[in-house]
Amino acid sequence: MERVKGNGGRFKIDKVAVAFIAPAFIFYTLFIIWPTISSVYYSFTSWDGISPNLRFIGLSNYKEIFTSARFGNALKNTVILTVFISIFENAFALILALIVDNVRWGKNVFRSAFYIPVLISGIVSGFIWKIMYNYNFGAINSMLTAMGMGDFKQDWLGNTSLTLIMVGVVLVWKGAGYYMIIYLASLQSVSTDILEAADIDGASPIQKFRNITVPMISGAFTINFTLSLINGLKVFDQISVMTDGGPGFTSETLVYLLYKVGFNEGRQGFGTAVGIVLLFIIIVLNTVQQKFLRSREVQL
Amino acid sequence: MKAVKKPKPFDFVLLAITIVLAIIFIYPVLFALMSAFKSNGDILKSPVAFPSSFYVQNFKDLFAQSDFATAIVHSVFLTVVSEVLIVCIVPMAAYGIERRKGKMTSFIYTFFLAGMMIPFHLYMFPLFKQMKMFHIFGTMAGPVVCYIAGSIAFGTLLYSSFLKGIPLEIEEAAQIDGCSPFQTFWKVTFPLLGPCTGSMIILNGLGIWNDYLMPYLALPSGKAKTITVEIASFVGQYTARWDIVFAGTIISIIPALAIFCMFQKYFVKGITAGAAKG
Repeated sequence: MERVKGNGGRFKIDKVAVAFIAPAFIFYTLFIIWPTISSVYYSFTSWDGISPNLRFIGLSNYKEIFTSARFGNALKNTVILTVFISIFENAFALILALIVDNVRWGKNVFRSAFYIPVLISGIVSGFIWKIMYNYNFGAINSMLTAMGMGDFKQDWLGNTSLTLIMVGVVLVWKGAGYYMIIYLASLQSVSTDILEAADIDGASPIQKFRNITVPMISGAFTINFTLSLINGLKVFDQISVMTDGGPGFTSETLVYLLYKVGFNEGRQGFGTAVGIVLLFIIIVLNTVQQKFLRSREVQL
Repeated sequence: MKAVKKPKPFDFVLLAITIVLAIIFIYPVLFALMSAFKSNGDILKSPVAFPSSFYVQNFKDLFAQSDFATAIVHSVFLTVVSEVLIVCIVPMAAYGIERRKGKMTSFIYTFFLAGMMIPFHLYMFPLFKQMKMFHIFGTMAGPVVCYIAGSIAFGTLLYSSFLKGIPLEIEEAAQIDGCSPFQTFWKVTFPLLGPCTGSMIILNGLGIWNDYLMPYLALPSGKAKTITVEIASFVGQYTARWDIVFAGTIISIIPALAIFCMFQKYFVKGITAGAAKG
C-alpha cells in the first residue's frame, strides 16, 4: 500500500481534515461566533430588536451601564448570589463527596440520591421550591409549625432581605451533586496505599486529611469553584419562575436585567452591552483559574 | 484476601448522618411526586402528608386543559433529532482535529473550546435575528441547529480526550485493508468511542430536555412548545391549580430519572472527563 506522503499526500491530508471538521465548524461559526461578534456591534447601537434601522450610538450603552443604579443593583445581586452559590455548593459538594467516599454501606445509592436534583430542570426545581416556600400553604412553614417553631415562619421569597438567598438555596440544592461527582473522582484517585502507609506511620485522621486529601483535591477545588462561579453568573430559569426579578428589583441579576431590557423594554442594544460585560467577567474568571491551576501543578 | 473489618461505631454514626442528608436532598422531589397525586385541596390543607389514595385526576386534567401531549412530542423531537445530528457531526470533528494534528487543527481546537465561555444570553438577541434571516425562526429546526452549535465546544473536548487513548495501530490496519478515512472512522474508531458517545448524549440530552429559554423564545407563540416551557407558563396561568403543574413536573422528571438509573456510569464519566480538562 502506498503511504500518504509528499506534496500530493499533504494536499490529500488537508482535504480529509476539512471534510471531517467542516460541518461542526459551519454550525459553530454560524450560530455561536457570528451572533457573538454581532453582539459586540449591537452593543454600540440603540437597537430595539424590531426595527431594521440601527443607530450607532458609540459608547452610550456602556456609559449608561456604569452610571445606572439599576445595573449597579443587578451587579450587586449577581455578586451576592454567585458568591453564595459558589461557597455553599462547594462546601456541600465536598462534604457529600467525603461522606459517600467513607460511608460503609450503600455508596451508590447515596451518590445517586445526592445527584438526583441535578437531573431536574431549572424551571421545575424553581416551581417545586416556590410552592415549598409559600407562606400559607408551603411545606416549610407547615413543618415549622408542626415542630413548634412557628415563630420562624417567613414569607421566604417575599421578604426582600431573604429573597436572593432563598433562590441561592435552590441552586445549591440543585448543583451540589454535580460538583460532588468531580470531588469524588479526585478523592478516589488518592491511592489507598498512601493512606495505609500514613496509618502505619501513625498519622491521625486530621493529619491524613490535611496532608494527603487536601492537596489531592485542590485541583478539583479550583475547577469546581470556577465552574460554580461561572454557572452562578448565568442563573436564569429559577429567577424567572420564582421571583421574576422581584420583589421590586431585589433578585434581578445581570442575566435577568439583560433579558428584561431586551425583551420587555425593547432595548436589545443595551441588553447586549450588559452581555458583553458578563462575557468579560467570565473571561477574567477563566484566566485566573488557569493561572491558579498551573501554579498548583508546579507545587505538586 | 483482605479480612472484612468489623463495623465501628463511627460507621453507624456516619450512616445516620448520610441518611438524614439524603432525605433532605430527596425531599423536594418526593414532595413534588406526592403532590402530583393529591387533589388541590389536599395540597393546600396538608402539604406534608402522604396522598391518601392513588389520585390521577391531575394528570387527566393536565391533558384535557392544555396541549401537553404536543409539548411532550416537541420535547422528545428536539432532544432526539438534535442528539442524532450531534453524534453525526461532533465526533468527526474531534477525530479530524486529533488525528490530523497541525497548526490549523490545533487552532480550530482552541477556537471551539473558546465557545464554552460564551454565555447564551449574550448572543441570543442577534441569534434570533439570524434565525429569521435563515427562515428557521419559529420552526423546530431553529432550536436544533442551535443545540448542535452549542454542543460542539464540550463535545470536542470530551471526544478529543477519549481519542487520545485509542491506539493508532487499529486504524492503520484498517487503512491498509483499504478503508477510506471515513470508513476507518465510522467502522473502526467510532464503535470504540461508545462510552464517550454515551456520556455526551446523556449530558447534552439532559440539557436539551430541560432547556427553557431557547424553545420559549424561538418556537411559535400561541401553541404548546416544550414540557419545560408549558410548566413555566402554567405557573403564571394556573396560579390556583398547583395540582396540574405538579402532574406536569412529574412527567418532566420521570424520563430524566429513568435514563439516569439506566446509564449512571456515563453521567459520572462525562462529568469527570469534562472537568479534568475544562
